[in-house]
Amino acid sequence: VARQSHQKQTPDFYDKYGNAVLASGATFCVAVWAYVVTQTGIEWSLSPVGRVTPKEWRDQ
Amino acid sequence: MSKAVGWGAPRDAGWALPRPVEAGRSHEGAALEKAVGRAWRAPALWSLGSSAFSVTGLADPGRAAAAASREMFFRAAWSLVLRRGGLGSRGIHSPGDTAHSKGKMPPYTNYHAQRSYPMPDEPFCTELNAEQRALKEKEKGSWTELSHAEKVALYRLQFHETFAEMNRRSNEWKTVMGCVFFFCGFTALLIWWQRVYVFPKKPITLTAEWKAQQLQRILDMKGNPVQGLASQWDYEKKQWKK
Repeated sequence: VARQSHQKQTPDFYDKYGNAVLASGATFCVAVWAYVVTQTGIEWSLSPVGRVTPKEWRDQ
Repeated sequence: MSKAVGWGAPRDAGWALPRPVEAGRSHEGAALEKAVGRAWRAPALWSLGSSAFSVTGLADPGRAAAAASREMFFRAAWSLVLRRGGLGSRGIHSPGDTAHSKGKMPPYTNYHAQRSYPMPDEPFCTELNAEQRALKEKEKGSWTELSHAEKVALYRLQFHETFAEMNRRSNEWKTVMGCVFFFCGFTALLIWWQRVYVFPKKPITLTAEWKAQQLQRILDMKGNPVQGLASQWDYEKKQWKK
């Protein structure tokens, strides 16, 4: 016999707002980290392989 | 065939016994004595466990007695914590988290049940009105004479929730993870502030133009040609190897 609740449970805080808190927290985290990583000028020292085009340096 | 009667409505619904009369309870002062007193009448399992714990592994009877009394003290203290709800009945998080019922208001006792402590010493409702007292009297007789509804009412007097209700899942993890993500995002703001106000000026060697020229110089010198940087460069086609 499957267990069942015998009283009607009123929604608690987590039922009402859990999804909203989770979604907004995750969105905020992703958005602000994407901005900080790409737009603030922090040097991550990524590998130049496949990314940087070498430039002639002996012309001076 | 009688109509099926479910577990029934909550205590404050129409058919059920009326809400117990509100009455002031002052048990704070005597809580500890009561807890210690109850510890001595603790369920058989606990006293068995405590005596087993104290007897095995201790050769000296004097130390065994001291350990038994220490054991009893800790059991009393723990059952006091459980009974008073410790940090508050909402605060205790048992492993394998289940939903929290709303905290109980007076005149109900400080009753906390969880899967690992399912049958507290005190009943859930201790202040009974006349109808409930009559029912408790009837309970002292033959149980076959109790109707289904009366048995349910007695259960609800003794216990706050059924096992199914007590162990129900909750959505608390969503709030927890949402707050975790929020604080991770807040950390990014701190790092941003640090970049603006703490980091020194970017040296010239880290500008894009300088790095491009530095890369060409390393390739001219064939730096790490076996497995490293120069090995990734195609010198004939003057591009990165695919």
